Amino acid sequence: MSEIMAKTEEIVKKGKALGADEVIATTAFAEYRQSRFSNNQIDIGVAWNDYTTDVLLTWKKRVVATQIRNFENVATTMEKLFKLAKASQENPLYGGVAQGKFKYAKPMADEAVRDVRDPSEYINEAIEAAKKHIGKNIDSGGILFTKYEQIFLVSSEGPEGMDERSAIELSIRAFAARDESGHGVECNSSLKGFKPARAGEKAGEIAKMAKNPKPGKTGKYDIIFEPLFFGSMLGHYGPMGSAFNVMTKMSVFIDKLGHRVAPEIVTICDNPGKYSVNNRVFDDEGVPVKETVFIDKGVLKTYFHNTSTAKIFKTQTTGHAGIVQPHPWSLEMNAGDMSRDEMFKEVKRGLYLTNTWYTRFQNFTTGDFSTIPRDGALWIENGEIKESWKAIRLSDNIQNLFASIAGVSKERLHVHWWGEAEPPSLSPYVLARNIQITRPE
Amino acid sequence: MEKDIVDYCLEYAKSKKTEYAEAKAVDTDVENIMLKNGLLDAFAVTTDSGFNVRILAEGGLGFASSNKWTKQEAKHVVDMAYKMAKNANRKDKIKFAEEKAVKTKWDVEQKKKVENVSSEDKIKRLLEVDKAVMSQKANVVSRMFIYTTLLTKEYFVNSEGSVISCFVPKLEVMPIGVTVVEGGKTEQLPYKWYGYTGGWEAFEAWKLDEDIAREVQVLQRLLKEGKAIKPSKMDLVCGPEVTGIACHESCGHPMEADRILGREMSQAGRSFIYPDGPYWIGSQIGSDLVTIIDDPTIANSYGYYLYDDEGIKARPRYLYKNGVINEFLQNRETAAKLGTRSNGASRSVNYDREAIVRMANTYLQPGDMSEKEIFEDIKHGVFMNSFTEWNIDDVRFNQRYIGREAYLIENGELKAPVPRPIIETTTKTFWTAVDAVSKKVEFVSASCGKGDPGQGIPVDTGGPLIRLKGVHVR
Repeated sequence: MSEIMAKTEEIVKKGKALGADEVIATTAFAEYRQSRFSNNQIDIGVAWNDYTTDVLLTWKKRVVATQIRNFENVATTMEKLFKLAKASQENPLYGGVAQGKFKYAKPMADEAVRDVRDPSEYINEAIEAAKKHIGKNIDSGGILFTKYEQIFLVSSEGPEGMDERSAIELSIRAFAARDESGHGVECNSSLKGFKPARAGEKAGEIAKMAKNPKPGKTGKYDIIFEPLFFGSMLGHYGPMGSAFNVMTKMSVFIDKLGHRVAPEIVTICDNPGKYSVNNRVFDDEGVPVKETVFIDKGVLKTYFHNTSTAKIFKTQTTGHAGIVQPHPWSLEMNAGDMSRDEMFKEVKRGLYLTNTWYTRFQNFTTGDFSTIPRDGALWIENGEIKESWKAIRLSDNIQNLFASIAGVSKERLHVHWWGEAEPPSLSPYVLARNIQITRPE
Repeated sequence: MEKDIVDYCLEYAKSKKTEYAEAKAVDTDVENIMLKNGLLDAFAVTTDSGFNVRILAEGGLGFASSNKWTKQEAKHVVDMAYKMAKNANRKDKIKFAEEKAVKTKWDVEQKKKVENVSSEDKIKRLLEVDKAVMSQKANVVSRMFIYTTLLTKEYFVNSEGSVISCFVPKLEVMPIGVTVVEGGKTEQLPYKWYGYTGGWEAFEAWKLDEDIAREVQVLQRLLKEGKAIKPSKMDLVCGPEVTGIACHESCGHPMEADRILGREMSQAGRSFIYPDGPYWIGSQIGSDLVTIIDDPTIANSYGYYLYDDEGIKARPRYLYKNGVINEFLQNRETAAKLGTRSNGASRSVNYDREAIVRMANTYLQPGDMSEKEIFEDIKHGVFMNSFTEWNIDDVRFNQRYIGREAYLIENGELKAPVPRPIIETTTKTFWTAVDAVSKKVEFVSASCGKGDPGQGIPVDTGGPLIRLKGVHVR
């Protein structure tokens, strides 16, 4: 592997020799595997291998980038890139990349993930677990996904490191009948502790509760969010903390540093730790990643920064580069003190929403949005599930949603699903009061 | 692109016990320019190049790809695809609908080659757009523009004898987060998409400086003069952008045969149309004025293609015809299951993604009314010319659109802007309420999301003005 590092370093040296101010080269050898299933059968097995080197080059505050494949035509590509920098324009706000040598944590990738070549046993395990709740007439679909990435980063400004990242994910949506469904996910960085049956059980349990759904009613209700649903909300809320999104007004956090944005029971961090499917030891500038407290007891503590945005905001990088756009890697909402049962007892008239999709905003500065609950949407009266609903929409404001949080569970789940619960998160059950639900008229 | 590697993949795949095999190479020159608040934030130029193999063996499908152009890697890719196909171990064996082999080459002409426009000129033109936006008498506090060129060469071969190559250039511009503040209130154009298949001539035709400046004026006027309406049943006129998104979301998507058969059940969802369900081919879904077509062959459209990614010749598909569910979007796999033929709807976004059933350019067929006639009979209503937030449930029945540019209509005349009017309705209610359709069709580009991992694919959406009689607007 030192050969790959040496080739990556050659790219950096070539850029510097041409006259570049800064060069970062990141070589990734990646193996991804996926099995997609529906109607309880595997539709397709997919394998894709990627061998790429991403190159960032700056010259007189001009930022250009390219990708080199298989270390081919390095000299020509770098010359073209340098020419592009000369044709480009200065960005006076560009504040450079990280400088100096860093010590990194030891990568904890699990090589066993690479050897999962026949995924059907995991898929069958999940389907069988769902069947325990909804019987043999189950219809189910989903994916089993594995990734194994080897990353080699060399920066002309000092950082140099190697990372190995692994993940295995199973997502299953189980149907007891056409409109009675539940969704579960199992996400892990390692094969050890990966239990696909947990996802199947969750999907089956929810599908069973979703029996005979009736069209829901418009109103303001207390809502208990399943971790998969709330992971999706975190996935929209957290990235708004990127300094880039604050600068481009695609955020509800403009001018809110140090201000209360949620009640005291809400603490949200970013932490691409060992367990996360988005685990890593350094960011795209080679800055070591760490736990970053984003919202502390309801107060906004920081934006997510790379070196350049940190300079604009007169602070330090938080290890969230993206060279152009800093972003959170893997969000964590701190556990609360409630059990799920206690949370249900708190609800006189409300809903337990288990999953959602198609979240869209009217205006990112105000946070007005709607999202469409899918799978089990369960009506609660006096702490008990009374019936199943369908055809509803959560139509509210994301600032209001987080400000209305009245309960956070002790239990948390690591969730990541398709484009909806993205980036991954460690999400609890959450109780929010007085949230607007609408339906078609 | 090394065609001999692709040919080798096919020959090697054919040496195995397969029912079908195909191999494809994709080379794309990508150019990205990002202008943020008037400054050039980043400029990226990349050549993305790789190949894939898809194999049907023992009734299972396997797909593998790589960007390492060696014979050894090609062999490995074929072996992986073959193994994955066999691992599927399906009870219900996958079959492909019969098709004849095609040998052809199709290239999209650029009237003005984008390769001949210098990087400096492209930056200059984007800065001119930015300047036009900032010269409006409005407090524009943020704006971002992303320009992209994609020059794509493809080479496709399959075990039935098809050999197809093509060259497809595309241009895209996306304004993002154009934000106007007035009196402490904010209005925003979250996203807009300009897309074209062809050359630099698109940039001239779009007149971005005028169009995005107009968007700023609309937001400014809304902030100054916007007047909320009282929720009630009224007539709603939808502009081409709103008609187009409704065609895409509540006709195009539910008519994708892979959804109908459940293959997307865990991700993009299913459809309100399904075997033995309440809706099928022949069911009434809208008024007889509603004919919605998906047509990949519209010259220079963003979703343009002549052969799909299974080598099937493209043609217009009449999805809803005179208000009746008429024809699904099919690939070879879904067509075999439903006892029909593919209609060329199989698309993938790159070499590393499997081709799945997709739309191309989905629009409502024009009617015979003038725009004046559409409005003149309305005593009280709303004109929703464009939309901001929108979404639809995963069976494509419960949807809502919120107006970005919208006006009150009184006695046939447009009055004050209406801030974010909402229609939240069902597919059947929406299309059944259509009682008037204008003559002129306009298109708006978009990136359609589907697949896992996601494949945002270029599409156009569009239509004429349509009038919905007596729908609830709030």
